[in-house]
Formats: sequence, C-alpha cells, structure tokens
Amino acid sequence: MSSVRPKLKPATPKVVTAWDASNGFTTYRTPSGDWTQNVAEAEVLTHEAADEALEAAKKDQTRATDPYLMEVTEDGKVTGRETLRESIRAEGPTCHPNYGRQAEVN
Amino acid sequence: MYRYDEFDEQMVRDRVAQFRGQVERRLSGELDEDHFKPLRLQNGVYLQMHAYMLRIAIPYGQLSSKQMRTLADVGEKYDKGYGHFTTRQNIQFNWIALKDIPTVLEELANVEMHAIQTSGNCIRNVTTDQFAGATAEEIEDPRPWCEIIRQWSTFHPEFAHLPRKFKIAVTAAETDRAAIRVHDIGLHMKHNAAGEVGFEIIVGGGLGRTPIVGTTVKDWVAKDDILDWLEAIMRVYNLHGRRDNKYKARIKILVTELTPEVFTKQVDAEFEAQRDEEKVRLPQEEVDRISDYFKAPAFETLPATSAAYEEAKANDEGFAKWTETNLSAHKVDGYTSVTVSLKPLNVAPGDATSAQMRVLADIAKAYSFDDLRVTHIQNIVLPHIKLDELYNVYLALDDAGLGADNVDLASDLICCPGLDYCNLANARSIPVAMEIQNMFSKYDRDLGKLHINISGCINACGHHHVGNIGILGVDKKGEEFYQITFGGRADEKARIGDIQGPGLRQEEVTPALERVAQKYLEIRQNSDEKFISTLERLGAEPFKEALYADS
Ligand code: HEM
Ligand code: SF4
Repeated sequence: MSSVRPKLKPATPKVVTAWDASNGFTTYRTPSGDWTQNVAEAEVLTHEAADEALEAAKKDQTRATDPYLMEVTEDGKVTGRETLRESIRAEGPTCHPNYGRQAEVN
Repeated sequence: MYRYDEFDEQMVRDRVAQFRGQVERRLSGELDEDHFKPLRLQNGVYLQMHAYMLRIAIPYGQLSSKQMRTLADVGEKYDKGYGHFTTRQNIQFNWIALKDIPTVLEELANVEMHAIQTSGNCIRNVTTDQFAGATAEEIEDPRPWCEIIRQWSTFHPEFAHLPRKFKIAVTAAETDRAAIRVHDIGLHMKHNAAGEVGFEIIVGGGLGRTPIVGTTVKDWVAKDDILDWLEAIMRVYNLHGRRDNKYKARIKILVTELTPEVFTKQVDAEFEAQRDEEKVRLPQEEVDRISDYFKAPAFETLPATSAAYEEAKANDEGFAKWTETNLSAHKVDGYTSVTVSLKPLNVAPGDATSAQMRVLADIAKAYSFDDLRVTHIQNIVLPHIKLDELYNVYLALDDAGLGADNVDLASDLICCPGLDYCNLANARSIPVAMEIQNMFSKYDRDLGKLHINISGCINACGHHHVGNIGILGVDKKGEEFYQITFGGRADEKARIGDIQGPGLRQEEVTPALERVAQKYLEIRQNSDEKFISTLERLGAEPFKEALYADS
C-alpha cells in the first residue's frame, strides 16, 4: 500500500481524508467544508467536484495535513483496494481495540 | 552514566524553544505542512496512521530510573499510558498531540533526553551491546566510545546532510548482540597481536530494500585513530554516495557498487591525506573524563553462588523457569544481568505501560545501580542484579506483568508497528506476531532459541531479513500476504535469510510455522541443536516442504 495512494477513476465515489493538523487524528471533509472524525459524516463526491474539494482541503492547512482522495461506496462506506488500510485509519489499530475512534464508538 | 555538559544542555533547550515556535506557526497556519515536515522530523516527530508519533533517543540504549520515570509520565500525561520500545533502542509514543510536543521535549530536557538525530539524513543514535559494562565477555566497556562517537557526530557540520541516514553500532564482545554487521558502520573492539585494544571496522551492512551484511574494511585500528578513520569513511561516502536515488543512497550501495576493495582504497587515501592539524586527536584526559561516567558501580565482593537464590529456585517453579531464560552471566561474582521480556502474550511486542515503566525504574533504583538498558530485541535489561536479591526483583516484575519467561525463545520476537500504526506499511505485523506467540507459547522451551522477526514492509524495521525465521508483509491487490525467509541471523555470523517461495495468506502463517517447528523437533540431532543449527546442517529444503505442506 505504501505511502503513495492509488489513482481513482473520476466516476468512483470518494471522500477527502487527511490528518488533523493539531493531533494527527484521521479526519474527513464534510459537505460544509468542516472536518469530522466520523467517515459517515463525510461528503461523498465524484469527478471535478471531488478534485475541487481536494484543492480546497489543501488550502485548509491550519486544520488538515496531507489531504487525499479515498474510495468509498455511494453511501460513504470504506471500500476498494485500500479497504484494510482505510478501515484501520477510520477505526484505530486492530491490535488495540481500546485506541482510536473504535474506542469511543464501542 | 554520561551527563550533559552545559553546552549540550543549552543547545537542547534552544532547540526545544525553536521547535515551540515552529509548532505554533504550523498550528496558526503560518507554516504549511511541506515546510513544517522537515522541521518536525528533525525533532523526532512523525505522522503515522492515527496520530503524531514522537521518537525519543536513548543513547546506546541506557536509561536512569529518573529518565524512565519521566518516560512513564510522558506516556501518562500526553499519550495513552504506554510507550513502545523499538529495535533502535529508542522509545516511541504513538498518540501525542502536536501542541503538547514542545512541552514533552522540555520535560525530557529536564532529564537530559531529547529527540535530536532520531530522524533525517544524519548519524543516528549510536547503539551497543545491552550488557555493556556488565558482561564478562567484553574486553572493555564500549560505552565511552559510543559517547565519544555521539559527541563527534552530533551536529558535525560535515555530516548533517548525508546522502541518507547513517547508523553506527559498537560491541566489545565476541558474541554480537548489537547486530554490528547490519549497520552502516559496525565497530568491534578487539585485541591486535600485541594485545592492544582497538577496533575492527565493518562497513556497508544494512537491511531495508537491499539487505547486505557489512564487510570488514579494517581488521584493527588503534583507538587513537578511530575518529579519523570514521571521518575518512564518512568523507568518501559524502562525496560518492548516491544522492540522486533514495533507494541507492545508503553506504551499503556505495560499498557494493565500488567493491569493498576499491572502497577501502579510497578510505585509505582519504585517511592518508588528512593533514596533522585535521586529525581528531582526543586528549587522553578527555577519553578519561568520558570513561569516568561509565565507571563500574560499587560492586560488592560476593561469593559466586547465593543460598537465597538457590532456595527460591527450589521453592518457586515459575521463578526457576524464568531464571533459565532471562539471565545472562555477569562479570562480577554474585551478580547477574536480567532481561525483562516485553513480550508477554497478547501485548504488542515492545509496549510497556507507564505503570510498568515506573516499576522498572523503582527496581533499577533499588537493585541495579540506577541503570536500565533497552535492547534491539525490544526488551529491557537490568544489568547489575545481586543473586541474593534476584527473587525480590522477579516477584516485583511478575507482579507488574513483566515476568514473561521467554527471552530468546520463539515468542520473544521482533515486530515492527506494521499497518496498525505505520503509514508506510503493506500489511499488519502486530496481530500476526501475537498469533505466533500464542501458538509457540505452548512449546517455546522445547524449541529452544529461535528468533522470529516480522516487518510490515520492505523497510525492515522489524529486521525480518536477519530472523532465523523472517516474515515480511506484502500487499497483493489489497490483501495481506506474508513472505517467509529462513536462515537469517544478526549475530557474529550475520546472514540474510533466504526467501522460501510464494507469500502466505495471513491465516496460513501460524499453521505453516507450526509445521516448520514440528519438522525441526523431528529432525534435530538433539535438544541442544538450535533451530538455526539444524537448518544450517540440513539446508532449508525439509523446512520449506513443511512450510508449504498444506498448499
Ligand atoms: C511507524 C513509524 C515508522 C516509520 C514511518 C519508519 C520508517 C522507516 C523507513 C522509511 C525505513 C527505511 C530506511 C532506509 O532503508 O533507508 C526504516 C528503517 C528502519 N526502521 Fe523504521 N519506521 C517506523 C517505525 C520503526 C519502529 C517502531 C522501529 C523499531 C521497532 C523501527 C526500526 C527501524 C530500523 C531498525 C530500520 C533500519 C533498517 C536498516 O538497517 O536499513 N522503525 N524505518
Ligand atoms: S517495516 Fe515498514 S511497516 Fe514496519 S514500521 Fe517500518 S516502515 Fe512501517
């Protein structure tokens, strides 16, 4: 999977994800241009709209670090080539169920 | 232990103040990530999967109880109550908020610790034998030389921008516990024919994408000349090391491309060309001053055996078993070195809680001359424990969940953070490690010494190339696979393991290794023949067959 993320097709549903600049937590861009830790609240986009959201995210330096586009299903669930990596980013380490977002949710 | 002088201290404090300003500017948006990243890396701050990670240097792996207590405090106040000890004899905190890091660095500076040179293309933390100053095997204590090299390399202007990071390890024993043959430079303190102590210099070892066992370029050089030789080596590397390609930039590639012979000639020429005024002549007083910090503690004169110890062994089976695996011979009668395993079952290898760190600090203070060591196998050593007091130490450790009796056994494996934490990972390593530990814990002892190393990608932070059994996580179309190597070793007979064949699915790894272990039990000559020895005697074939017996 490495540090280079795969290229996605324009029509593939995606969300903008990044790291929260202050605590490094995984974060997703919402329809209002805010950020959330909950992937379910992220804005699902395709085509130019996705690229534009990414460009906007890149300018949001005080809040988000290294944003990129991540593949999701149409209803915003983690999917595709990087499902394992992105699930771990979304939930927390699989070997430490007490850490990460999964700890708050469960 | 070495103490900072005022100069060191001021420098560390200035660095923290400077970094505080940089963090503030990052958080206010004045600095963007592209500009901030190199600055944070220089201060040991990485961005991992879930959070910022802070890597703290532990020079030559040595800690005082005060330092260990500070690490415990940092874990509790700023992280999730634990820390992760690494193969680089460092500690990493996985969940630290950026805004807190300058304060953490200040608290560390109060106990003479820092995160400088834990990242970037500089000479990194110098590492050594975890039993330095304690083992009967060493010809002298290597730590003064680690410290001399640390001082020489810290902020050395010529070596701040090397083609790539650079790692040096030193040992003074024949048994190599510092993996000197897989470092950029390995130094082996030994005698020459005249009986003087000097250094064998090994260059160009390393793991990662291109694993290579280092070559001896100098059989023996005098102590007085060691910094000049290092300087000559670094100059050749600095001049000719590849800066155009990150993957070819390590000194191991230069040595291989030039051939060790040509490389050595260039180093010789560089050494000869040093004018007298360029020579780094360490005055003897300076060597003595530094050596003084590593003076042997006030050992008592004791008999070689201890009635209290023997009695405890006879009465407590758990203790007796633990003593079989977790002790190493000490140079002074009546003492032993204890390795505290950070590999109990169902814990990420190398993790210790803040509470455990405090117990270790208390024990070190009360029983081990205030001295703790971090090993590259991700364990902790209490180097100087009196046999008379060993049982108390064991009970305190066991009470804190630190009584695992598996040092050097299959469940004492090395494991990198993998995909659960690491942004560069291809596959997870911790869950695989835990499963293997659970399986082997049933007959660990029967198997004897067996080193299993796991990395989640080719960067090889988990040293998989030099595991007797190595496991490398790879990614096939989004699925985790694990490539198995046999025959690696990191000791004085260092060798890179051989890939056995196609990668295994995660769920196949543990059963496959269990078959390999059973095969070993079946074909070893006797219980004294270690796994690696059987493998070297018979070749990999029988083990490979067992590995793939199910496919
Ligand atoms: C999770 C954050 C980490 C990141 C991003 C990371 C990154 C890297 C990278 C990129 C390399 C390859 C460098 C090269 O070959 O030039 C490397 C090597 C290495 N890492 Fe890590 N690492 C991490 C954690 C760790 C941990 C936790 C350990 C110890 C358990 C570790 C120990 C090592 C060692 C020993 C090497 C040297 C291998 C060699 O000799 O070339 N790293 N790391
Ligand atoms: S080996 Fe790879 S996966 Fe493991 S810590 Fe290093 S960079 Fe990360």
